[in-house]
Amino acid sequence: MSIGHALLGLLEGGPRHGYDLKRAYDERFGHDRPLHYGQVYSTLSRLLKNGLVSEAGVEAGDGPERKRYAITDAGVTDVERWLGTPEKPEPYLQNTLYAKVVLALLSGRSATEVLDTQRSAHLTTMRDLTKRKVDGDLADQLICDFALFHLEADLRWLELTAARLDRLAQEVRK
Amino acid sequence: MSLLRAEDLHKSFGKTHALEGAGLTVRAGEIVAVMGPSGSGKSTLLHCIAGILAPDSGVVRYGDRELTSMTDRERSELRRTDFGFVFQFGQLVPELTCLENVALPMRLSGVKRKDAENAAKDWLAKLEVDGVADQRPGETSGGQGQRVAIARALVTGPKVIFADEPTGALDSLNGERVMHLLTTAARETGAAVVLVTHEARVAAYSDREVVVRDGKARDVEFAR
Amino acid sequence: MKHVFNDLALGVRLAVGGSRKSWGRLALQGVGIGLCVAMLLLAAALPNALDARDDRGDARSEMTEGDGPAPVLVEEMYVHFRSHDIPGTYVNVRAQNAPVPPGLERLPQDGEVVVSPALAQLLASPEGELLRPRFPQKVIGTIGAAGLIGPHDLKFYAGDSKIAEDAGTKVYGYGRAYQRMGLDPVLWMLSLVGIVVLLFPVLVFVSVATRLAAAQRDRRLAALRLVGAAAGRVRLIASGETLVGALTGLVFGIGIFLAVRPLADDVPVPELAFYPGDLLPTPSLTAVVLVAVPVLAVLTSLFAMRRTIIEPLGVVRHQKPVRRRLWWRLVPALGGIALLASQFGDSGEKGTTFQVVVIAGVVLLMLGIPVLLPWLVERVVNWMRGATPALQLAVRRLQLDAGTAARVVGGVAVVLAGTVTLQVILASVEKDVVSEEKRDATHNFIALTPKEDIDAAGLRKAVEAAEGVRAVHVLDRTYVTQPDDRTTSVSVGTCAALKAQADVTDCVDGKAYLVRFARDMSEVRAGDAVKTQGESAWTLPALREVPGTSPGIYLTPAAAKGLDLTDSRPQLQAELDLAVPDAAEHMRNSVAAYSWRVHAYFVGQDDSAEVELIFASIRRALLAGAVLTLLLAGASLLVMALEQVRERRRPLAVLAATGVPRGTLARSLLWQNGVPLVLSTVIAVGTGVGLGVMVTRVFGAEVAYDWPGIAALTGASVALVLAVTALTLPSLRKATGALGLQSE
Repeated sequence: MSIGHALLGLLEGGPRHGYDLKRAYDERFGHDRPLHYGQVYSTLSRLLKNGLVSEAGVEAGDGPERKRYAITDAGVTDVERWLGTPEKPEPYLQNTLYAKVVLALLSGRSATEVLDTQRSAHLTTMRDLTKRKVDGDLADQLICDFALFHLEADLRWLELTAARLDRLAQEVRK
Repeated sequence: MSLLRAEDLHKSFGKTHALEGAGLTVRAGEIVAVMGPSGSGKSTLLHCIAGILAPDSGVVRYGDRELTSMTDRERSELRRTDFGFVFQFGQLVPELTCLENVALPMRLSGVKRKDAENAAKDWLAKLEVDGVADQRPGETSGGQGQRVAIARALVTGPKVIFADEPTGALDSLNGERVMHLLTTAARETGAAVVLVTHEARVAAYSDREVVVRDGKARDVEFAR
Repeated sequence: MKHVFNDLALGVRLAVGGSRKSWGRLALQGVGIGLCVAMLLLAAALPNALDARDDRGDARSEMTEGDGPAPVLVEEMYVHFRSHDIPGTYVNVRAQNAPVPPGLERLPQDGEVVVSPALAQLLASPEGELLRPRFPQKVIGTIGAAGLIGPHDLKFYAGDSKIAEDAGTKVYGYGRAYQRMGLDPVLWMLSLVGIVVLLFPVLVFVSVATRLAAAQRDRRLAALRLVGAAAGRVRLIASGETLVGALTGLVFGIGIFLAVRPLADDVPVPELAFYPGDLLPTPSLTAVVLVAVPVLAVLTSLFAMRRTIIEPLGVVRHQKPVRRRLWWRLVPALGGIALLASQFGDSGEKGTTFQVVVIAGVVLLMLGIPVLLPWLVERVVNWMRGATPALQLAVRRLQLDAGTAARVVGGVAVVLAGTVTLQVILASVEKDVVSEEKRDATHNFIALTPKEDIDAAGLRKAVEAAEGVRAVHVLDRTYVTQPDDRTTSVSVGTCAALKAQADVTDCVDGKAYLVRFARDMSEVRAGDAVKTQGESAWTLPALREVPGTSPGIYLTPAAAKGLDLTDSRPQLQAELDLAVPDAAEHMRNSVAAYSWRVHAYFVGQDDSAEVELIFASIRRALLAGAVLTLLLAGASLLVMALEQVRERRRPLAVLAATGVPRGTLARSLLWQNGVPLVLSTVIAVGTGVGLGVMVTRVFGAEVAYDWPGIAALTGASVALVLAVTALTLPSLRKATGALGLQSE
């Protein structure tokens, strides 16, 4: 999952300190794996270098932790492209997908569209698998079915998420 | 070139708004999956575009004819001649044998009993259920019953087959088999299929999908 | 024991479940069973009603034995007016405290008359104008119900102080108790047939009404099984449900009976009219009805469930019921035919055995119908292939469950067959009677028989003066005793006088004629030595047999030579001009002054209109009864059809969705209702006509058919099928809407 896109997404709400960003990230996405400070600052400096964020001012005192960052126009476009691109359908996607949905909601974008786009991508893959299965031998069928059932599980999770978007939006914006 | 096109359909049942501006396009010979959570209005959409239900507003075109301005009788006739239907369950007449069930649509169109039953026999064989021809639906398994239903939907050589959760009452294996037979037969005869399902594995047999949510259909391909 | 009551109570709770539908079902059951109960109560009241008639008849009959001078002297005489025969009692009251017959306040004096309400009505009506001259007396009151047998009784008491005392006129009191003979065994048997024919459909309909909405109930019971009720308890609960219907039926039935009872005196046929108060159901029979109906209802519903296995997950009907066997089903019908056929043309002695055989035959044949019908319906629908899709749908449906339909229409068939039988018998009897009446109506003589030695010349003068009288002839009438001790009436008169009684077209003086009794007449042979009333001997001359109105020997004066006529009585024969309207009534009025002393009987009274009226009302009653039962059957058929539509909602909706025209579905319903009913109608009409013909043949009468009546019945059952189907269409329409697809 792309930490850079997540941080960009969080910055869309307004300029923040690196420390705030880490806290916000941990709160929403890092339940089992909190970010290290190092990770945060190296990512921010990469984003800064690519012109996706800018420094929005330094407060009195020392150290990088006193810097505030803001998202640039290029940064907003990048987030948009990221949200609009489906993840490659593969198992264990939920971290990224979840982050995308939450960030879409946070930034007031359509989370439904994120889900629909992802479903479409999943289905395309599933269609290919189904075709291979129908044309293939029993071993092919079993292998394809394994993948199909996993992808289906993802999609079901997506459907469930879509059905709960309203509640999620409420909780995210709190 | 679209075979069936629905635009801006609205349909309410009392205070429940089942469709609120849904649209859909089906091209000849393609298999379209209509997906969406339950209660989203996908069955209502199917009933409207198949001419079973008349929408409150909106237009449904089949070829160069406008379904929404036809009389009940004309729509009935169209459904009999150009459309085929497969439902989740309970669609076969319990008193008739499977063979008679399959022959029924042809007989209603005036085909002689013998010819109708011969055609029915061929279709039962194609769907690998010729063994239950003389049994009543109640005496067959769920998978066999659905295959008989598919035979009945195909026997008149329809242009469009409407399938509403055709595997809904079946286990995975039987569901796969039924979907395989349905799509294969449809592709062989060149019939388009409108497949309502909430299962991705079933929808994976389609060429593309349409998502219905809150009474609005998002026809992904045509929206772009 | 406690759980038995609990289960029954649960059944009751389910039956009155509170939804509109359950109340509707209960009401339908109530009306159906109620009609049957009312009919049974009416039957239970008949013995009492007949007894009450007999009691009043006894109460007004005269006691002619007593000591001392009789307080009342009585002469009885019928006053004939058109088709009415009005019995009259002329009284001469001789004692202050003379006994008064029931229903009268006092006995009339000279110039007074007491009439029954019906007679008072007749006298007051325009129709009674020609009757009024015969009642010149002052009407001092009407006879109360206690003195009348039925509400339409015509009867009067008139005062006449000139009645002389002799052996036949003395009366000491009223209320002679006649020995009751009990019901004549033949009548008893006939009533038995009537009851079987009547009660059988009643029983069938109690069971049909009990099973209204049975499929729905079975589903409810399946739900009970799911929550753990054992099969036995489910049966108990079902009994509770049935019981509610039966009890509702009892209440409805008593209500209907009480509502109909006041109409009993409005029945237009006097013999069938009762005082409402007389229609009091006998306690024992009432108890039988009140107990038997619920028991029967419960038993039939349990019996009907015998083939249904109610499982927790739904109702299992035996998919392929045992194929019905023919041979035992044929036994009752064939037995009945054989019994009846054995009595064909046997016009000899008609004893009790004969009656028993005939009645047993009729009953067996009637029972044969519902027994045979399920087999027939099954065979016919199995043989039918279904030429059109609509027919195919119907036939296939019937093939799966022919029994239910056959049971419903079985009841109809018995009613129809019984009705048609009675129609054929009625038509045959009516034809006989009416043609006799028509023949009599050409007869233009009125016979005046004086009761005692009266002024014959004065009477003759009065008769001759009457309007419409062409001539008056005299017949001298006496009796002779044959060698075998039988007596035969002998009338002597001129050819013109003899014409009044016999068809003597070739009459010349010196000829002698014989009019035979219809049957059972001893041989009267020329040359027989007979004795006259005065014990003098005479030898019968050669007799020519001719048809006539009154049996006996008719002699021209020359042929009566040597016959002792001293004890003979003259009978005046007034020849009427039938072109004068009501000539007979005018003539009778001219001799009104003779009151009880002259009996004026007019053979030529044209009663055919009256007879036709009576037959018409019987026919109407029959038809009404048949239509009523048909309606009841229609109601059951309708409930059955509605239920089937509901049960098959989904397949129907799918059929409509796949483009099956509604018309096809409606036609399949029509066939489904029509095939069993048409079959049963054909069987019923066939059996009815056959039975009617056989019974008529057995009694040696000429067969006539009441085709309009039969057509009306057949038409009614066809109309019924159409109506039931039409009433099912709205629910079909509802089921075939797309909502039928969505509900599940």
